[in-house]
Amino acid sequence: MQKRNKYSEIEDFLADESFQAWVLFKIDKEGWEEWTLESRQRAKLVQDARLMLLAMKVPENELSSSDIHRALQATWVKIREKENQKYVKTSKIRFLGKQILTGVAATLFICFISSWIYSTYFKIDNNIVTYNELVDENNEGLVEQTNNTTKPQIITLSDGSSVLLQPNSKLSYPKIFTGNERKVYLSGEGFFEISKNPHKPFYVYANEIVTKVVGTSFRVKAYSDQPDVEILVRTGKVKVKSNDLVSKSDKEEIVLLPNQALRFQRSDLKFNKITNITQDAVLAQSVGNIEQLSFEFNDIPVSQIFETIEQAYLVDIDYPKNKLIDCHLTTSLSDQPLTEKLKIVCKSIGNNTSFEMNGNQIIITSEGCN
Amino acid sequence: MKTRALHLNSVDDNTLWNDLKNGDEKSFSLLFERYYNDLVNYGNSLSPYEEKVQDCIQDVFTDIWVYRNSLQTAVVVKAYLLSSVRKRIARLYERDHIFRKTASTDDIAFLLEFSVENDLLDDDYATKEKVHYLNRLLNELPPRQKEALYLRYHQGLSVEQIAEMLDVNYQSASNLLHRGLLTLRKEWKGTLPLITLLFSSTL
Repeated sequence: MQKRNKYSEIEDFLADESFQAWVLFKIDKEGWEEWTLESRQRAKLVQDARLMLLAMKVPENELSSSDIHRALQATWVKIREKENQKYVKTSKIRFLGKQILTGVAATLFICFISSWIYSTYFKIDNNIVTYNELVDENNEGLVEQTNNTTKPQIITLSDGSSVLLQPNSKLSYPKIFTGNERKVYLSGEGFFEISKNPHKPFYVYANEIVTKVVGTSFRVKAYSDQPDVEILVRTGKVKVKSNDLVSKSDKEEIVLLPNQALRFQRSDLKFNKITNITQDAVLAQSVGNIEQLSFEFNDIPVSQIFETIEQAYLVDIDYPKNKLIDCHLTTSLSDQPLTEKLKIVCKSIGNNTSFEMNGNQIIITSEGCN
Repeated sequence: MKTRALHLNSVDDNTLWNDLKNGDEKSFSLLFERYYNDLVNYGNSLSPYEEKVQDCIQDVFTDIWVYRNSLQTAVVVKAYLLSSVRKRIARLYERDHIFRKTASTDDIAFLLEFSVENDLLDDDYATKEKVHYLNRLLNELPPRQKEALYLRYHQGLSVEQIAEMLDVNYQSASNLLHRGLLTLRKEWKGTLPLITLLFSSTL
């Protein structure tokens, strides 16, 4: 540290990290205070340098670690796209990472899918598409999550979408969505809420059916031992068609709007559109918790909002009850995946509020509301 | 400076850089996390389009990974990143008609306004005025001089690195820095007595 004895210009000081630390963060490890006072001339120079530094502040936006993490994920997506582009000469691949960051989530509910019992299956084995076949077809390196418990489990996908996976069901999905499509594979039942990204349609492959959504979220349920596949839409628009593996000629695509449903008979590959779900006993019965709960909140205590989320997604939310006791919110969360819901609630409570998600355990940190 | 302090105990840039070159994803992520915030701050001082800035930075990292085999071994990682981000943003300006019609890398303007560290300014009134005056002078400097000062004293780059980044020779870079401060000091010294006078008369 004796090099500072030779300092003769303001510049020398400005470039000295330890000097900067002393002036800007009041960290004086090198004893600048004392050293400065050793000579009058030196004190003058030091003071000038100090004022200069104080006049040169730059605005520093601190990104949160989750922002940085999201940026990193978006970058990996870009990398995969670029690598694909490099090896396969596809011309139309575009960088969509940004859209993932900014994508606004909306909600739709899809699909109840079921399948024949194994024995039936083999009789018409030509037409039967199994989950395993579908997953094997995909070479993106999928992650599989199986719910062997008795309660639904929440899964958050890399694009912010959430899936509430029912017991005895499994979902395969890429760790990070790459390319121009988002594809997941379902066996059993799931409730999907997909974050909006018109440039990257989301597909759920379940048995013989492919369900496509563009700018909304959806829910899928597909058991391999039931005769029909059922799809139920809540909000947004959903397109359903049979998987090419079943019938290459049949390009029939059915569009479903909110509160419409579709039943697909696996035995004869027939679609049956149901426009009034309340009149269909089976469908009316299969509506889950999450469809029944309202996410429209009008001056409602935060505690109650958390309770609603807990019931809908079967998660545990831990939050500072005392600090949030007087907080009331008015907000509409119907159209959002879980992570978006939490983000909106935290933002509405105040800037110093954040959440952390670990499986079905959610921890809210807050210093109280605005 | 804060970020630098935070990483004192962790693996140094060049080790990470070389591991990255050998295909280590973890090192890539660590470097990304280490510098992303800094680069965003710098990028935002070159372009008012925050989203595009982040996009550019992500593209820079994308290229680093995709073309990792052809990266040089001996680089100052931070300078390399800052410089790549600058080039990227300049290219965006060239290509994108939404942006102003400025053409080359030299012309992208450093938009940042320096401000005053009021929280740390526990001095007397006259000194405070002095700092505010100094701040105004700093902001009146030509954009390139401001950028040189920013890179030197906020990002901690050396004069050589700044020269390379701004595509000028060492002497010019040094001049940019020096002239910046010199003009400042001259004006500062010249006007100060006057300011002091003004104050004493109003008091």
